[in-house]
Amino acid sequence: MATMTDRSGGGMGGAGGGMGGGSRTPAGPALFLRNATGLVKGWSGFDAFVYAFLAVNLVTLGMFYSFAVTGYVPDGSPIAAIVLSGVAMTFMCVAYAGLIAGMPRAGGDYVWQTRVLDGIPGAVVGGVFGFVTAWLAGGALALGDTMSLAVGAAGAVAGVIIGLWRGGVGFVLSSTGWWFILALWAPIYGFILKIEFIQPLAALAGWTDGVDFFNTGNGTFAASLIVIALTTGLVALGMAGYARIQRLSFWIGLGALAVMFVLMLLGSQDSFRAAFDREASSLFGVAGGYQATIDNSVANDGLALRSLDPLGFGGGTLLLIPFMLFWILYPNWGATLYGEVRGSGDFRRVLNGMLGGLWVAVILGVAFLLLAAKTFGWEFFEATNVSYVNYAYGYTTTPPTIPIWGYPPLLAAFLIDSHIIQMVIVVLFGAWFLGWTGTLFLSSTRMIFAAAFDRILPESAGRVSDRGVPWVALLLIMVPSVILSWLYAYNADFVRLTLDATLVIAVTFLGSAVAATILPWWKPALYNASPMARYAIAGIPLISIGGAVTVVVLGWVIYQWLSNALYGIGVGNTSSIVFLAVLYGGAAILFVAARFFRRSQGVDLDAIHAEIPAE
Amino acid sequence: MRIFFATDIHGSEVCWRKFLNAAAFHRADVLIMGGDMTGKAMVPIVADGSSWQVTLQDRGHVLSAEAELTAMEKRIRDRGYYPVRTTHDEVTAWAADEAAVDARFKAEILGSVQRWMALADERLAGKGVRCIVSPANDDMFEVDPIIAAAEHVELGEANAIAVDGISIASTGWCNPTPWRTFRELEEPPLGERIDALVAAIPDPRRAIFNFHAPPHGSNLDAAPQLDADMKYVAGGQALVPVGSRAVRAAIETYGPLLSLHGHIHEGRGAVKIGRTLAVNPGSSYEDGVLQAALIDIDARKAEVKRYLLVNG
Repeated sequence: MATMTDRSGGGMGGAGGGMGGGSRTPAGPALFLRNATGLVKGWSGFDAFVYAFLAVNLVTLGMFYSFAVTGYVPDGSPIAAIVLSGVAMTFMCVAYAGLIAGMPRAGGDYVWQTRVLDGIPGAVVGGVFGFVTAWLAGGALALGDTMSLAVGAAGAVAGVIIGLWRGGVGFVLSSTGWWFILALWAPIYGFILKIEFIQPLAALAGWTDGVDFFNTGNGTFAASLIVIALTTGLVALGMAGYARIQRLSFWIGLGALAVMFVLMLLGSQDSFRAAFDREASSLFGVAGGYQATIDNSVANDGLALRSLDPLGFGGGTLLLIPFMLFWILYPNWGATLYGEVRGSGDFRRVLNGMLGGLWVAVILGVAFLLLAAKTFGWEFFEATNVSYVNYAYGYTTTPPTIPIWGYPPLLAAFLIDSHIIQMVIVVLFGAWFLGWTGTLFLSSTRMIFAAAFDRILPESAGRVSDRGVPWVALLLIMVPSVILSWLYAYNADFVRLTLDATLVIAVTFLGSAVAATILPWWKPALYNASPMARYAIAGIPLISIGGAVTVVVLGWVIYQWLSNALYGIGVGNTSSIVFLAVLYGGAAILFVAARFFRRSQGVDLDAIHAEIPAE
Repeated sequence: MRIFFATDIHGSEVCWRKFLNAAAFHRADVLIMGGDMTGKAMVPIVADGSSWQVTLQDRGHVLSAEAELTAMEKRIRDRGYYPVRTTHDEVTAWAADEAAVDARFKAEILGSVQRWMALADERLAGKGVRCIVSPANDDMFEVDPIIAAAEHVELGEANAIAVDGISIASTGWCNPTPWRTFRELEEPPLGERIDALVAAIPDPRRAIFNFHAPPHGSNLDAAPQLDADMKYVAGGQALVPVGSRAVRAAIETYGPLLSLHGHIHEGRGAVKIGRTLAVNPGSSYEDGVLQAALIDIDARKAEVKRYLLVNG
């Protein structure tokens, strides 16, 4: 199977419009190309891998939001949960790679959902979604069972109507996942910057006032503002420059990780214990910090001490998967495919890039946990994490033994008795943050552009300055980011909505998974024209298998998030449900309002997606 | 006056058919095709005894009945490629003879444009719809006289066509691309070409520019950056402005009411440059989706009343 290539040169009249080139099959050339705009020589699967790998970010997301909470499920096996999550996300990668190869350039949940989820599928998705959202909101507001059902039914009707309107479901699901909720990610990014960069460096530099300041609401808010300024600046500078920063960050981050792994591999648990005791005393004035951390967590956080069983599969393993998705849900985040899609090779390259990023992260994640158990000691590792998470999220008023999170690269760096070298390691690990944070607002601005071009938002939302900076779109994400950052910093209830940030994105992905599942039957022309059409298992299209499994997995995970008190964002958390209802209700209202407003201007938004008959 | 503007359909037959039907479907008065209407690839359908072999998107097909063959040809054309019934010997000869490939490509392209113009004459006859087609940088010069000869299609290139007192000025020439295609000029001569075209317009503020190249730095020209080896930088994530500075200067200088562009398929959008609404509907021709702009003009006031980017 060959990939088409083309070459410039040759000549045929005009300004050098050379022709030639083509691809070969065993039977001979399958296709001949002429020189024309847009035909490029290749598309690097390695690039796709880098973006997927940085999105499934082992350090910024994995180490804190997934690995630091394993102690909350004492009968769960973290390694099995990671591997199972990787398997589940593999199916999602198949679905997304299929959508990307089938509808290139379109490149995004908004366009895929808008094109596929119309008519009956749109109505069904809208109806189900409207019912669940409104019913949960009714329950959260204590309206009673009957009234909640009535509100749910009203939500279902509204959802069906919006689903029948072309583009309605696509807009609601995508604007919430790619725009609204990213405002909540700003303080989450800020929190990560605080605990993985600012506080470790402040502690190592002996700046105890700085450590204390960033443990306050003001400090948390300041870190969020730093992230908002940084990401705004990166969008303003343009992606071309940032792409180079990302590539550099990838290599520096990998190098730093290798250093950490070597330190952990060579260090023994005894040497780490001595190193931690030394640094806890030196930096924070805590004597016997290692054992004190364990004792503190057992006494005040109710931690059940255990060891890590690498091959175990405890009863709570599945319950760890929703936590793991906070880290591992995003191998498709930067997945795009520009240019002409010529064949299945393009699909495979996209898929391989995503799967490479996913599974390298999975392998590194498993390796990290094994090394953490070996060198830090699993009891200590879970103790230091649970103590910090409980305190940071307001579940306890007892502070952790040391006033900062036990950031694993910092812990590993303690094995070297030099604050300078420790600082260098923490700084190098900052590459994981730098290479990942720049896409925060970029994704939002692209969604805002799409909504502006579809006339749902005012024309000004799509404007760029003479230097190409989308200031209005940036303001539309910056302002809510600042507001949510403020809430995150000063409202203890709001901090506990953190997992909502992933839930909303998972709902968006669920919508695209539904689109992928039904694509071969609902839009057969589109599907048959795509390189995906050649892939089937037992006669079932591969994209549908990938989509259907993803629907089941994400559906189950979302159900767990919403129903299981373990995750803290479901039916027991009124703030969370109301927040989600406001988010989805706001998107629906925006779409309906835009529709009526444009109609008053003589613009029919239905025309956007109305297919012109060819015959 | 309602304008339906599409561009960059690159040989996609289904997109051309939709374009012709768009006037009735969207009640448009004027159809404008912004160029790059010819395809980039030729797919050999090779005779093998009583059957035919063809590989499309890496997938091999053996066709025996004429109906199957016709369906495959339609599928290939809808994707924007040219199906070519041929023999093993001919294909083998082409692989070693670039001139022979060029000749066959040329024949297919020109034959296709002729068919498209005939279809336009058939479908637009008696409809009272103006149809302007302006070839662009990927279209060889030989297509111009074929378009000009069509009864119900007007050739846009280098012409300022008056519709309801509004002048529609067209050019498919672009600033240089890495591919060195047919109609490319450095910025200064491109600016001179545009100035000469606009000089023939009584009032540029009552004009519509139909310039294939988008204005530089407008976001309608954001394309994936390529390295020296013609590979995407950073997997296509790094977008850079590749539009024409001469086109931007012309828009800023003359202030037409509307400026229509294409060229950059990823650059779908609409932006205001001064008083001018500049539009690039983008292109998804391979999917069989006709991306277009639907624009209502108040010809008396020389203003854009409303617009919508559509995916038909």
